Amino acid sequence: MQSTVRPNATLVDLLDRVLDRGLVINADIIISLAGVPLIGINLRAALAGMDTMVKYGVMREWDEAIRAREQEG
Amino acid sequence: MGPNNDGQVQSDAFFLKGDEQSGRYVYCIAAAGEEANLGTIGIEGHRVYPVVHLDLCALVHDCPPQPYQSAETDVIAAWVLAHHRVVDTAWKRWRSVIPLTFNTIIVVGEVRSAEENLKAWLEAEYDSLRGKTQILAGKAEYGIKVFRDVVALAKSITETSLEVKRLEEEIGSKPRGLAYMYRQKLESTVSNEVQRRTGNEIKELYDELCSCAADIRLEKVKRGEDAGQMLLNLSLLVSPEKYPELEARLDRIRNRDGYSLRLTGPLPPYSFC
Repeated sequence: MQSTVRPNATLVDLLDRVLDRGLVINADIIISLAGVPLIGINLRAALAGMDTMVKYGVMREWDEAIRAREQEG
Repeated sequence: MGPNNDGQVQSDAFFLKGDEQSGRYVYCIAAAGEEANLGTIGIEGHRVYPVVHLDLCALVHDCPPQPYQSAETDVIAAWVLAHHRVVDTAWKRWRSVIPLTFNTIIVVGEVRSAEENLKAWLEAEYDSLRGKTQILAGKAEYGIKVFRDVVALAKSITETSLEVKRLEEEIGSKPRGLAYMYRQKLESTVSNEVQRRTGNEIKELYDELCSCAADIRLEKVKRGEDAGQMLLNLSLLVSPEKYPELEARLDRIRNRDGYSLRLTGPLPPYSFC
């Protein structure tokens, strides 16, 4: 299966979750996020389009950490 | 509520609407207390510290009362990964966290500071949050995508199906116009059979994986993957004692002819709160 895994696939799975999931506070104590979900759309579009995302140092570090963990598990 | 102890008194004493540091960016709720200082691991190196209510805390950093926004993909990615780093660190340390969605920022109210607002919210939601941390305690989220080589499946159907064999024979004996119709019939016979079989396979896989999960979420199947057709896209919440069973089942699926899968995790339970 390793051969078929795209390098940033796991990263996209992770970012998807951080952006789309997690508890949402429904109260007027949070800042209104009208228009902000665009942040996720931009990011996902960019990730889907390019495998070179991993070139960013921070991304490589995380990608390696995530994949190392994936292989342990 | 009352005033906070130590360092937080000062920052709250000066809060103003729109103040640079008046907002509280919340990463997650953890079953931890005052000791939960994670240091400068937050977004853009911010100091992450706990806002405590009883045996729960919200892990936060001080921020301006406006959402994180950027057109730069690498900037956004770095923020999102930093959010994950905090949640992940807390989750590994206390095994019981409720991740919040990215960009959750508590702001100053009419009469209360953001910190007071957050504490009031923790107090009001305490029972529900406590219940969630108990359900999630120790469990991890896994993303599982199962792919099927449908081209190989179609090929094997073509080679083994009696119906297909019969149609092929008829094509050979028909004039051109009619042969064309038969060829179309043959194609739809094969694709219907592919659908029927993968449909059954999806049900079986789902049941198989369901039995080792505390909770399960059916995710959207995406197109355009290079590993074949995505049959199933799941998020599973798995307790440690069930993990070996999950692993064994995944191995079995992986070893089936024409199957491949992608596993992400263990992750904090983003999809189960």
